[in-house]
Amino acid sequence: MEKVTKDKIKAGLDVFRQLHDGKLLTHLNSCVHCGLCADSCLYYLTMQDERMIPANKVDVVASVYRRYHTLAGRVAPRLVNARELDDATVEEMVDLLFGACTMCGRCVRHCSIGVDIEYVVRMGRKILSDMGYVPASLQATVNAALETGNNMAIPDEELLDTIEWMEEELQDDLEDPQAEIPVNQPGKNVLYTLNPREPKFFPLSISAMAKVFYAAGESWSLSTAMYDVTNYAYFSGNQEHGAIIGQRIYEEMEKMKAGKLVLAECGHGYRANRWEAPNYIKKAFPETISSVELMAAYLREGKITPDKSLTEEVVTLHDPCNLVRGGGIWHEQRYILKNCVQNFVEMSPYGLDNFCCGGGGGQLAMGEYNDRRLKIAEIKAEQIRKTGAKIVATPCHNCVDQLSQINVNYKLNVQIKTIAEIVADSLVIEPKSQK
Amino acid sequence: MVVYNTLLMYWFEWIALGALLICFAGLAYHMLRLIRLGVQDDYSARAGSPAAGVFYSFTGGMDPRKKESAYLNLPTYVSGVIFHIAVFVTIVLFFLFLTGVNPGQSASLLLSIVTFSGAVTGAGMLIKRLRDQKLKYLSNADDFISLTLVIVFLAMAGLTLLLPAAYPVFMLVSALLLLYMPLGKLRHAVYFFAARIYLGRFYGWRNVWPPRKV
Repeated sequence: MEKVTKDKIKAGLDVFRQLHDGKLLTHLNSCVHCGLCADSCLYYLTMQDERMIPANKVDVVASVYRRYHTLAGRVAPRLVNARELDDATVEEMVDLLFGACTMCGRCVRHCSIGVDIEYVVRMGRKILSDMGYVPASLQATVNAALETGNNMAIPDEELLDTIEWMEEELQDDLEDPQAEIPVNQPGKNVLYTLNPREPKFFPLSISAMAKVFYAAGESWSLSTAMYDVTNYAYFSGNQEHGAIIGQRIYEEMEKMKAGKLVLAECGHGYRANRWEAPNYIKKAFPETISSVELMAAYLREGKITPDKSLTEEVVTLHDPCNLVRGGGIWHEQRYILKNCVQNFVEMSPYGLDNFCCGGGGGQLAMGEYNDRRLKIAEIKAEQIRKTGAKIVATPCHNCVDQLSQINVNYKLNVQIKTIAEIVADSLVIEPKSQK
Repeated sequence: MVVYNTLLMYWFEWIALGALLICFAGLAYHMLRLIRLGVQDDYSARAGSPAAGVFYSFTGGMDPRKKESAYLNLPTYVSGVIFHIAVFVTIVLFFLFLTGVNPGQSASLLLSIVTFSGAVTGAGMLIKRLRDQKLKYLSNADDFISLTLVIVFLAMAGLTLLLPAAYPVFMLVSALLLLYMPLGKLRHAVYFFAARIYLGRFYGWRNVWPPRKV
C-alpha cells in the first residue's frame, strides 16, 4: 500500500471538515459499542471475527474523527480510542470498509440506537477515495465507466451486435418480424437502461424485457450513448465520479426527450440513479422508476396478461438490499411473482430483513476479496436451500451474478432469473401481425 | 431530614450545580452544532413521508419484536431498558434533591428499588463487557469509565434515598458524571435522538419507513 502522506491525510480529513449537514456528525457520535449489531451482519455471522462487527466498522471511522475533532480525542486519545489517520489505520479502513462490508444496511435496521452504519461506511470509503486508496479493481470499474460510458468498456459495435442478435431471438420467439429492440430513438415514452452485464453475459434478459415492452405496447428506446444503469462510484465513495456518471444519464434523458427513465433490474443502479445521483449533481431527475415498478404497473393496468400455469416450479425471491432497504421497492416484485408463477415462496427472513447475497457494496468488482465474498454467501445458500425452490428470482443483475456463483459453489441446483425473465416466460402473446 | 429541607446550599451542592451548568453547556454545544448543520436538501423525488418515517423511527422502529438486537438478545435488551429507566429516574431525583424536595418515605423505598435495579443491571453489563469476547474487542476506556460512573450514580441515589448521610457522596458522584458526560460516549444522550431523526427522515423520504404491508 502506498504510504500515507500529509496531503493525503488532509484530503481524508476534509470529509469531516466539509460537513453538509449534521448526519455524519450524529452517526459518528451515537454508537455505544453494545455489539448487538453483530447478529445482523453476514460477515460476522459467517466468520466470527470481531473486527467485522458493524460497530467496529463505524468505530474505525469514528476513531479518526475523535482524534482530530473532539476534546477528549485530542487531549487523551487512548481514553476514547482516538486514532491518527496513519498507514495502519488506513490499511484497516480499506480492509474493513471495502473488504468486509456489502453496504447492505441490514445492521442499520437492527441497531439498538439507530446508527446509519452503512452511511458511515460510505463516508469512510469517501475518505479513502479522497486519499487515493480505493482498491484498484473497483477503481478500474469506475474508470471504465468514466472513460467508455459503461463499466465493462463494451464497444458500441459489440453492444449493437448483441442487440441485433437479441432482436432476432425476439422476432423468432414472437413470430413477428416487426418486433424490435429500438435503439437511439428520441421522443419515446421510456428511455430504458441496461446493466452492462446483460449485453456481456446475460443477453437473454434484454430480449425478455423487450418482450414485456412488446406485450405492453410500450413506446421505448435504448441509447447507445448512455445505457449503463450502474454507478460504481457509489461504491468507491467518490462523489465527483458519481456526479459525472449521474450527469451523463441526466443529459441523455434531456437529449432523448423521453417521458421517463426506466432503470433495468439492478439494486445499486436503482439506488444510485433514483436516490443518489440527483444529490450528486444537485438537480432533480426527470421521472425515474425501476423496471420492476413498471412491470407491476403493466400488470395492474392489464397491459400484460400472464399465465401462471406456465411456471409450475417453486419460485423464491431474493431481495436486493439497495432496491428494498435502500429504495423502498419490495411490494412490486412480490405482486409480479404472485401473478406470474404458480408457487411462490418467501425466504426467511425476507423483505426489509433479507440477507445480502454477498455481492453488494462492489464486492463482485473486487477480486481481492473473492474468498470472503463466497464464504459470506453461505447464509444466502442456506436461505435458498430451505425454501426448496427450483427458481430464484431477483431484480438485480449483480445479485444474479453472485447467486449464480453461489449456485455452483454450494451445489444448489437452482435456476437464477430476473423478474423480467419470469414475466416474459409467463406471457402468451399473439403476434401483432395476426391480431 | 435536614438535608432535603434546607434552603441553603451545601458546598457539594454548589459543585454539583456547577457541574450541571458545565454539562448543559457541553451538551448544548453538541446540540446547537447539529441544529446549525441542519438537514441537507434532498434533490431526489420524495416517495414517502419523512415525518411519518421519523414518527415510526421512535415507535415501531424501536419495537423489540422487530429488532434482532432486541429479540435475539432479550436478557441484554431487558437489562438495558431497566438500566435506562433507572437513569431517567435518578436524573429526576438529582433535581429533586438539589431543590430540596423530599420524595417521602414510601416513595423513597420504591425509587431505591428502581435505582438499585439499574445499578445491578449496569453491573451485569459491565461484567459482560469485561468477559464477552465481542464486547471486549469493541470496548475502550471510555466505555468502562462511562458505565462505571453511571452505575455508581444509580447506586448512590438508591443509598441516599435510604440513608440521607450518603447525599454528599451522591452529589459529588453526580458532579463527576455531569462533567464527563459531554466528553465521552455518554453524549449519546443527545445524539441518540438525532440519530433516530436522521434515520427516520432518510427511510421516510424513500418510503421504506413506515413499512407497508405486502
